[in-house]
Amino acid sequence: MGVAIFVIAALYLWQARGFQANFGDILGPSVFPTMIGLIALVLSASLVIAPSGSVSWPEPRRIARQAAALAVMGLYVLFLGQLGFPIATFGLIAALAVLMGGPVPQSLAVGAALSLGLFVLFDRLLGLPLDLLGSWFG
Amino acid sequence: METLSLLGHGFSVAVSPLNLLLLVSGCFAGTLIGAMPGLGPVNGVAILIPLTFAFGFDPTSSLILLSAVYYGCMYGGRISSILLNIPGDEPAVMTTLDGYPMAQKGQASDALAISGVASFIGATLATIGLTLFAPLLARAAIHFGPADYFALYCMAFATIGGIAGVDPRKTLLSALIGLMIATIGLDPGTGIPRYTFNSFELYDGVDAIVALVGLFAISEILILLEKRLVQANDGLRVRFRMPRWSVIRHTLPASGRASVIGFLAGILPGAGASLGSVMSYTIEKQISNARNTFGKGDPRGVAAPESGNNAASGGALIPMLSLGVPGSGTTAVMLAMLITLNVQPGPLLFEKQPDLVWGLVASLYMANFTLLILNIPMIGIFIRILTVPTWALLPVVVAISFVGVYSISNSHFDLYLMIGFGLLGYVFRKLDITLVPMVLGLLLGIDMENNLRRALSISGGDYSILVASPIAVTLYALTALFLAVSVWLSLRDRRRQADPAHQGGALD
Repeated sequence: MGVAIFVIAALYLWQARGFQANFGDILGPSVFPTMIGLIALVLSASLVIAPSGSVSWPEPRRIARQAAALAVMGLYVLFLGQLGFPIATFGLIAALAVLMGGPVPQSLAVGAALSLGLFVLFDRLLGLPLDLLGSWFG
Repeated sequence: METLSLLGHGFSVAVSPLNLLLLVSGCFAGTLIGAMPGLGPVNGVAILIPLTFAFGFDPTSSLILLSAVYYGCMYGGRISSILLNIPGDEPAVMTTLDGYPMAQKGQASDALAISGVASFIGATLATIGLTLFAPLLARAAIHFGPADYFALYCMAFATIGGIAGVDPRKTLLSALIGLMIATIGLDPGTGIPRYTFNSFELYDGVDAIVALVGLFAISEILILLEKRLVQANDGLRVRFRMPRWSVIRHTLPASGRASVIGFLAGILPGAGASLGSVMSYTIEKQISNARNTFGKGDPRGVAAPESGNNAASGGALIPMLSLGVPGSGTTAVMLAMLITLNVQPGPLLFEKQPDLVWGLVASLYMANFTLLILNIPMIGIFIRILTVPTWALLPVVVAISFVGVYSISNSHFDLYLMIGFGLLGYVFRKLDITLVPMVLGLLLGIDMENNLRRALSISGGDYSILVASPIAVTLYALTALFLAVSVWLSLRDRRRQADPAHQGGALD
């Protein structure tokens, strides 16, 4: 962990040196990033040398469930434009509900009811334009 | 007197029909969010921010809504603590200690009423304190120069993680990572793009709201997916009846003491409501535990933490409004909303926008009365809503987060960014790195750099201006003292770790 932050801080610092402005600002664009980058470098180095705390990562089955949830969310964004809001949101809610241990029929029902409910609430009542059908059906 | 007339003006702002409606729905939603395990004030307020943008409210109305939610969460957190022994949110942890034993003894309804009244006392006293002290602090803060603000921000980053429990290096790193993210985008001083990797989406920087919703709402889903999913609905069949007045009267001194402690804990940067409730409970136990009744269902052990956390949430609004430096996670999130709406909290806010400040203060008084009614006579509604299972609730929260963020920017890129922040938030939480300093860094980063820039322009590039004023020197001294104490405490904790008797850890 400390190593990862150390590497990021080092890259950040290295980039900071590259910022240059040729006109009259007294601080310039690179001083502040250099300051915070340096402190981050020192602190992360100290975490590498003297780590604190221990992490218990979840068991593989649960990590798979978390990865699935992330994938569902990513796919949602990817296909939101193609499927339209109600259908995509139905998929999102139902899939997450199942992943969280909901019974399948009820999860589907909750997804159907709430995706339509949210569409009516946002699009019709709040005037926030949402895609009803998407490019595949519309 | 001046304060009273300003407050009167505030009430005239707060009683507009829209603001009243927002107040009541905010109180209701807040109690609900607070009551549900897994959703607390920080996530609740973070999820609702995009919605306030979708509605297009003005800053005053948005702030009234979010503050009502914030106060409501503090009331609602106690419900599942008492009935299920599961704290509804972080600050309600201490309420389980005596609240659940009371429920087991068949006194659930007494415990709910006592804690409701205690919440009311804590929140009302804190609101009175806010009315009195926030203008004073704002008046003092007028004298702050750019170098002093730079020092103040340094202090905020060093202290926001709280004193005990967490490794101070991790807290600082969290703040620094927030600052690093804040430097993404066009540099406000020179117009040079920094860390944008030639991506135009990043030229405007990372929107704080996108980051917040990801960090708090999406990461919560990942945390919940990791735990075994239990659904505890036992103990929810409570018939509520009003308790005898004598039962409540007995707890009033405890509530009074706890309110003062909680209020002070709330004003301190970084302490927040959790520390407020922990300190109030511990101190009340030392005062009143003569017959060894604490932890076994002592009504005063229910009243003290509830007054404490409600008073702390009022206190935490003071530095946020008058200095622009939030005292807790939730007020940091509220600051994000204000900045996005182009309202810069700080001493000038009191002069330039009295409608906003005093409208908010007045609505806090009204929120307290609303919450008292919602939380004692109408508590049955919330108990029933607690039976909604998590698997049905959280996916909807995610869907609302997506719609809300999408409504701000209409950008798919921001949605991916939000998921990314969710993953980052989850990993950081697993590593015991608190997210609040990161949010604060993200919010204050640009302002911090600008103040540094201004200070150096005044001095012509001479860095000694940073330590030239007595205010700045005092702030640096306090920061150093604070860091020294927290390093010492964490070293002591590490030595104690071998000894299981002292395990417990921090709650913030």
